[in-house]
Amino acid sequence: MTRVYKRGSYQEYFTKEHDMLRKAVREFVRNEIVPYVDEWEEAGETPMSLYHKAGELGYLAIGYPEEYGGVEGDVFDQIVMTEELCKCGSIGIPVSIGTHGIALPPVVAHGTHEQKEKFVRPVIEGKRKAALAITEPSGGSDVANLKTTAVRKGNHYVVNGNKTFITSGVDAAQFTCAVRTGEQGYRGISLLIVETGSPGFSVSKKLKKMGWWASDTAELFFDDCLVPVENLIGEENRGFYYQMENFQYERLTLALQANTISEMCLRECLNYVKEREAFGKTLSEFQVIRHKLAEMATLWEASREFTYRVAAKINAGLNQVKEVSMAKNFASTVSDRITYDAVQIFGGYGYMRGYLVERMFRDNRVLSIGGGTTEIMKEVISKMLLSESKH
Amino acid sequence: MNYDLTDAQKALQSSMRSVARDIVEVPEEAGAGTLKKNMEIIAGIDYPSLILGEDIVGYCVAGEELAKICPSTFFSAMSSAAAFGLPVRRFGTEEQKKRYLDPILAGEGFGALAVTEATAGSDVAGITTTARRTDEGRWVLNGAKSFVTNAPAAGAFLVLAWTDKEAGKEKGLTFFLIDRQARGVNITEPGEMMGLRGVEIAELQFSECEIGPDAVLGKSGDGSGQLISIMPLIWISVALLALGIGISCMENSVFYARSRTAFGKPIGYFEGVGAKLAIMFTMIDLGRMIIHRAAWGMEQRQSEAAILAACAKLFTSESVNKIADLAMQIHAGHGYVKGSKVERLYRDARAAEILYGTSEMLRAYIAEDSLSRFSPEQNMMPDKEARVLFA
Repeated sequence: MTRVYKRGSYQEYFTKEHDMLRKAVREFVRNEIVPYVDEWEEAGETPMSLYHKAGELGYLAIGYPEEYGGVEGDVFDQIVMTEELCKCGSIGIPVSIGTHGIALPPVVAHGTHEQKEKFVRPVIEGKRKAALAITEPSGGSDVANLKTTAVRKGNHYVVNGNKTFITSGVDAAQFTCAVRTGEQGYRGISLLIVETGSPGFSVSKKLKKMGWWASDTAELFFDDCLVPVENLIGEENRGFYYQMENFQYERLTLALQANTISEMCLRECLNYVKEREAFGKTLSEFQVIRHKLAEMATLWEASREFTYRVAAKINAGLNQVKEVSMAKNFASTVSDRITYDAVQIFGGYGYMRGYLVERMFRDNRVLSIGGGTTEIMKEVISKMLLSESKH
Repeated sequence: MNYDLTDAQKALQSSMRSVARDIVEVPEEAGAGTLKKNMEIIAGIDYPSLILGEDIVGYCVAGEELAKICPSTFFSAMSSAAAFGLPVRRFGTEEQKKRYLDPILAGEGFGALAVTEATAGSDVAGITTTARRTDEGRWVLNGAKSFVTNAPAAGAFLVLAWTDKEAGKEKGLTFFLIDRQARGVNITEPGEMMGLRGVEIAELQFSECEIGPDAVLGKSGDGSGQLISIMPLIWISVALLALGIGISCMENSVFYARSRTAFGKPIGYFEGVGAKLAIMFTMIDLGRMIIHRAAWGMEQRQSEAAILAACAKLFTSESVNKIADLAMQIHAGHGYVKGSKVERLYRDARAAEILYGTSEMLRAYIAEDSLSRFSPEQNMMPDKEARVLFA
């Protein structure tokens, strides 16, 4: 006897408006980015001209306050932007033009009106880039022990130290820097905005990486660097807390990048296995290949669904620190697996430069490292699980 | 069971270790000069002869040391001596051995095996290069080969072609020894791989390439059997490559874990990091064990040696990718930037599951053997011949 359930409905995460934005961004990517991917990867940077174009279209301003040039939008508008830009086939490019997403939020949340006019508006309008400088050569995960100091002297802070792995470190005009103004540990950290051109500031090294080639990455050197006190964001010694507020967004973005990498690789494989022949049939007719594809697709679907669900809750204002950490871990574990399998399906070609899956394999690997390593995420998750389970 | 190395094997190990100090890892760009120098150094301790000799475990012991220092040198050497050299040693005339093998043994030249084509990798019988016989008994080759290791510098090529399509793969394929300068041979620009970038690969094109009857290796139609017979040594060699890369990953990881501090202590003391090191260690030890088991089996002329060699390649190639992934994670950001040893090893490792037989092909080969071997009426019977799926 069959069952007849009362029919319900289901909700899409994306509305018609989101779909329209997606279409527009897809067109933008097709015209303004795709033809230049190889060139920009080789050059090791994404040109400012693209940044300006994106700025003019409002693509950099989604979700920022309208009084400073922002454009109204929700988390899913930002998701559309991230996904479609990643689909250009080089993760370095969206990372390069989207760096302000991790650099500006503390300024928006805790900055003065003057700071927002000076340091938010021109960035989201596409006129100058902003970068975040937290990590140091001696400490990434152990950020509470950072060593860069900022000593107040009259109208300036005198900053000394090094930062490394700074995304957009070469092209940025301003850096949201975590510096030590107080005691050891996380209670002595402040956020200062350092502009390039400040006396004592230099980009000491341009770093080449395994992937994300089109994203310029640098080491920064502060040698008695003078920073005006007006550039302090919020209160002294509150910087660590300000920075933590934005981790949700950053981790969500990384989960989305991972899922989009997975999606692109899956698509490449599905096309390839229908064309490539061996032993008298297409690869798609080999059971091992078919089952591999099934596993890849299942993992991607599950990751995507989980990420979107977490995003929807963030969009509704819920705290999702634990869940977004889970989403980042899961998505990058899935993309690790899918990029690996994709190279394998392409055989020798998967190992050759010029093939998308080869680049995705390299671009993907940093996702379980940057923005909080998988291991640190597991610390966050388990701490919250254990404290939540106390009654 | 005595797992100790013999005195002779220990001598080979220390011999390679002593020249290891002079071997410079081939740079990823413009490395041809360094590679040539390394080949001369290892020829100085008779390493090419060792690859082709009776002491296969001895080859493994020395090869592991070389693969650890420079995977690219190891791979170029094995492709030259084993992939190209072994067929010549086994099936060549005295004249052919003198002309094509002697330079390799002396460290003065490269040989290149050319089997794979753009549309045929795993499916060797799918190649389309043909050799037609002229009235004077000469041969004319037409076709193109891809992913030919050592092609840019090789003095000679061992090329597989159809001499009798009607006869099928068992009797219709033939190997030809072709000089680089032969008319009708074109070598394309080197290809860009993801890793093993100290190795040079290129395409070979044959256009009405005419060669004499003395270019045939063995007899016309022998190609299939010849190729099958050399696979065990090739698989053991790739297994050694994987082992060496894995050992290097581990050594770098241990060094980093002991010297890098975070949260107040060297990171090696965190249980999670320690667990990764333990996994690496176990896989490396097991990998060495199965390689030696297969090598010893070959020395003893055991019929299961071929299958064991396949197992060795399969296991170590899968393991080295897991090991490289763990090593990358331990190094985190510092492992993702160029200049880091682990960054290069990660990309080198990825080739192991693809070249000289994908893991998928090896599993198919082992499966077929297993099915014929483990029938209900028989236990594991060592003298049962295994039919080969491919070539």
